[in-house]
Amino acid sequence: MQSLSFIILCPLLAAGLIALVPRNYQVVFRSLALLSTLLSLLGAIRIFAGFDTGSAALQFEEQVAWVDSLGISYHVAVDGINVGLILMGAVVAFAAVCVSREITARQKEYYLLLLLMAGGILGAFASYDLFFFYFFHELALVPTFILIGVWGRGEQRNYATFKITLYLSLGALVALVGLIALYLEAGHQTFNLWSLARQLEADPIDPARQRYLFPLLLFGFGILVSLWPFHTWAPLGYAAAPTAVAMLHAGVLKKFGLYGLIRVAVPLLPAGVQSWAEVLAWLCLGNILYCSLVAMRQKDLNLLLGNSSVAHVGFAFLGIASLTLLGLTGAVVVMVAHGFLAALTFALSGYVRQQTGTVNLDHMGGLLERLPFIGGVLVMAFLAGCGLPGFANFPGEALVLFGAWQGYPGVAILAAWGALILAAVYMLRAVRVLLHGPLPERWGKVADAPHLWHKLPYGLLLAALLLFGCWPRLLTDKIQPCVADIVRRAEAPPANSAAGLARIALPPAAAPALARPGATDGLTASRHPR
Amino acid sequence: MIDLFAWLILGLPLLAAAAITLFTLPDAAKSARLSIGAVLLAFLGSLILWARDATGEPAVTWLALGTGTGGLQIELGLKLDPLSRLMLLVVTGVGSAIHIYSWGYLHADRNRGRYFAGLSLFTFAMLGIVLANNFLMLFIFWELVGVSSYLLIGFWFARPAAAEAAKKAFLTNRLGDFGFLLGIILVWAALGTLSFTELEARLADDPAALGAAASVAGLLIFCGAMGKSAQFPLHVWLPDAMEGPTPVSALIHAATMVAAGVYMLCRVFFVLAVPGSVALELIAWIGGVTALLAALLAVQQNDIKRILAYSTLSQLGYMVLAVGVSGASRDPSVAMYHLTTHAGFKALLFLGAGSVIHALHHEQDIWKMGGLSRRLPITFWTFLLATLALCGVPPLSGFYSKDAILARTLESGHHGLFALATLVAALTTFYMFRLVFVAFTGPAKSQAADHARESPPVMTLPLLALAVPSVLAGFWGIHRVYGAQYGAEPAAAGSWAQQLVEPFAHAPLAAGAGLAAALMGWLGAWAWYRAALQDPLPARFATVARWLRDRLYFDELYERLIGWTQESLARLADGVDRWVIMGVAVKGTHGTFELLGRLLRLAQTGNLQTYAFVLVAGVALLLFLVMAR
Repeated sequence: MQSLSFIILCPLLAAGLIALVPRNYQVVFRSLALLSTLLSLLGAIRIFAGFDTGSAALQFEEQVAWVDSLGISYHVAVDGINVGLILMGAVVAFAAVCVSREITARQKEYYLLLLLMAGGILGAFASYDLFFFYFFHELALVPTFILIGVWGRGEQRNYATFKITLYLSLGALVALVGLIALYLEAGHQTFNLWSLARQLEADPIDPARQRYLFPLLLFGFGILVSLWPFHTWAPLGYAAAPTAVAMLHAGVLKKFGLYGLIRVAVPLLPAGVQSWAEVLAWLCLGNILYCSLVAMRQKDLNLLLGNSSVAHVGFAFLGIASLTLLGLTGAVVVMVAHGFLAALTFALSGYVRQQTGTVNLDHMGGLLERLPFIGGVLVMAFLAGCGLPGFANFPGEALVLFGAWQGYPGVAILAAWGALILAAVYMLRAVRVLLHGPLPERWGKVADAPHLWHKLPYGLLLAALLLFGCWPRLLTDKIQPCVADIVRRAEAPPANSAAGLARIALPPAAAPALARPGATDGLTASRHPR
Repeated sequence: MIDLFAWLILGLPLLAAAAITLFTLPDAAKSARLSIGAVLLAFLGSLILWARDATGEPAVTWLALGTGTGGLQIELGLKLDPLSRLMLLVVTGVGSAIHIYSWGYLHADRNRGRYFAGLSLFTFAMLGIVLANNFLMLFIFWELVGVSSYLLIGFWFARPAAAEAAKKAFLTNRLGDFGFLLGIILVWAALGTLSFTELEARLADDPAALGAAASVAGLLIFCGAMGKSAQFPLHVWLPDAMEGPTPVSALIHAATMVAAGVYMLCRVFFVLAVPGSVALELIAWIGGVTALLAALLAVQQNDIKRILAYSTLSQLGYMVLAVGVSGASRDPSVAMYHLTTHAGFKALLFLGAGSVIHALHHEQDIWKMGGLSRRLPITFWTFLLATLALCGVPPLSGFYSKDAILARTLESGHHGLFALATLVAALTTFYMFRLVFVAFTGPAKSQAADHARESPPVMTLPLLALAVPSVLAGFWGIHRVYGAQYGAEPAAAGSWAQQLVEPFAHAPLAAGAGLAAALMGWLGAWAWYRAALQDPLPARFATVARWLRDRLYFDELYERLIGWTQESLARLADGVDRWVIMGVAVKGTHGTFELLGRLLRLAQTGNLQTYAFVLVAGVALLLFLVMAR
């Protein structure tokens, strides 16, 4: 059970079993889904608990050769960066299955796809082989589209499905081109990340090429994480998605892009990231400030949560752009924390929607009176969303701000404004109009989560937020050695560089249109002959 | 052993809050017992620490990343020194009285479980501020105090006014915290550590270590205090916070939340008082302006709790002023002195007001009271005692601490601020006796006032208990305890008689001016309000009175400002998102491809003749091109 393959295969095998069970055994689908995600969760907890803190080495490694000629193998392992993400993914997957009670139509297909999604996500985070890394992501992504299209809700469902499919496929495609180009440029005939990292450290890709490769990965992965200005799919998509899918996607699958940046792009392309860090630092303000401002104006709770989720991942981008130990560690903590938080808020909004039939904030008010448990957890989730200490988001965001201060004090100040003020404005406004105030008569029949079993998913996610918020060393001590390694690579001048290579160079001409004015100010233009 | 006590003092209220939330929420009596028990035990623990003169810094590592200046080492540590020991006593002592009083005040509310959970969480957060041994820990508990005040002010969340007030309090505090966090980051970036002990040592070694950032860092850190202690211009949340239950007002406004700002300034005084920093000068003036502004606004309020709220603001202004003028002597203990005495009598005033409100079935307008001195004797006499203490009448506690501030202001050469502080002292007596005359003397001005009955012992006993420090705190030598924190020479404790007249011997001008101002204020109140049935001021000074009653329109001004700036930006961003990014860019791309598709579709007619024609035309064109060449 203390095996990564077990964690990944549980949901996938259960999906296979569900495919074989006849349609009229409805009870089996849900039970199988619950059982398999629970087993996955227990496995993930065991791995997290058994992790040897303080070591940067790969642990719980499993490797099976597959296509030797191309250097593809099934290779799963954990280090400090993904061990927390896998735990988070497993918790969210279990919680998502728990809250899927609301689904009554076509349960067989629903649970099959949901489990594929869960297994794919966990596989993507565990894989150390670029091929499987990408394959597992697609395995999770494709069911997402179907789930939103078939079980989605709201008038804009079709448009949202269409949009999210196009956007995410485009992002995945750009990232794929980047990954293949990286494989070819590296020229070591291996998809294995571990060996690629070692070989590229000794013999890096030509810095000029890195600067062309990096944006492919940055924007490819960036679209998957709703990097500004490629973010508009996210609020719309989450508003239309069924609760469990919004939880899994916003919470876990979306982190794949950030994970890809930290795992692949930053360590393998140090010169590339150096020249693009400043662009990224300013772009992430688009997420943090701009999307927070947009969230302030939303009338639909799900759109508000969607925009807030886009704003929160901005901190992970900022942490990556800072290229410091504190910033990158903070970015990973933010990824884990936001996973729990996004899942929790979408789960709660799903509950409110189920009870009231609407999430339009204009029609709400006073619900705390009727929903002491759900409302109470919602208040806590909203407070976690505005970076309250005690919840996991605080150490993450604080570390990012500390880390970003060294390189980008201006960005850090504006980001702090977004975190402390804007987030509080829209979150408290939501509490005010949703939960506080007099209770309108029409909500007299709204009922709270009745018993412990129904409260479990919310309690679990909240407990995770509190645990890592009060005791962040559970994560940071594991993350630190791995991130220190990445920072060392990004800081070290390339081994075969001339003196000019270490300097920051202007990004290629195609991209500055995306950069904010000022982003390229003061950079030295130093092109290298190809 | 000492360490264990310190951890218990901090941990018990948290345990109580957690236990209530998880298990006893529906059971009011059990929740109250847990909450009250926790704070009483914490008080006991604080007494033990006090008796043992405990010092030390028990700590566990909360976060450890990197090494050297780029690293961040954060402890969850408890700093035990004279400052925190005495403050622990204040917080848990006044807190205990308020916890017990709450049981009587809210006896009819069915959500008492939630109330006591909030109260315990609040106490935990406040104790965290008192004990924090580094800036980030301080900030964490700082925020927790903010959120627990949000929960308590919004306790009656179904009332729109309470919900709005809670939100306003939290957001205003957040504004201060924004500056505070930046200040913390700045200090960390310059000095590489956040631990108070290390920072103090580093600044003692090299006072110029902060360099050019000294003033900015000091002022940014002061922003935090500005929010929590409600200093101008962030003072607007505090009067609105009166929407919470009265014991909450007493807790927030007397001993804890608003005092946290002043306590923090004294805790990190070594960062503010570095040479070359102008921070203290500005802090002194902000304190002075707040004291005056709030005293003026208090003159025309009619809600008993709001009068007290403005009086709190004004007294906090005094404390901040005291911190600001202590730069030369490097010893802000006078601010802590006033904070301590104020905690006692202000809690007493609020609880007394609560007793009045309780007796009058939630009537808060002083012009509907009157004659209460006969009907509520215990409330009246304790309230009067606290009023006299607040006005600075010897030999009550407020006299000594306020006089110490006046004397310090004069000694440091801030003559303008001294005049201002004396004027505020006169105003204080004026508005407080306006309140006493109108509410407690003269004829009853409403039915409710005529039928008022004294509150039950669970409420009057805390009043009596708080009356003791209001009288005696001036003799206790509190300023010597705090002085020890800042390395002042421990002056020999004089006899009671010497202690009694000490201010006149030490700084006769300040003491005389303070007393004269108090007398003037009292005469004014006596002349106008002794037997008034309605306020004579609006008739005489219509415009001024209206402006003061409407709080000089700060709320309206801020609302406009936010509307013009942040709200407009939000509207703009929303518009850009909706129309430019989602509209022009995304839909535009979509539309272009759609149009291309439609155009191409025109060629695909399915008509054989058309295809044959296009084919022949193509062949002809190719032939022509080949032949022509």
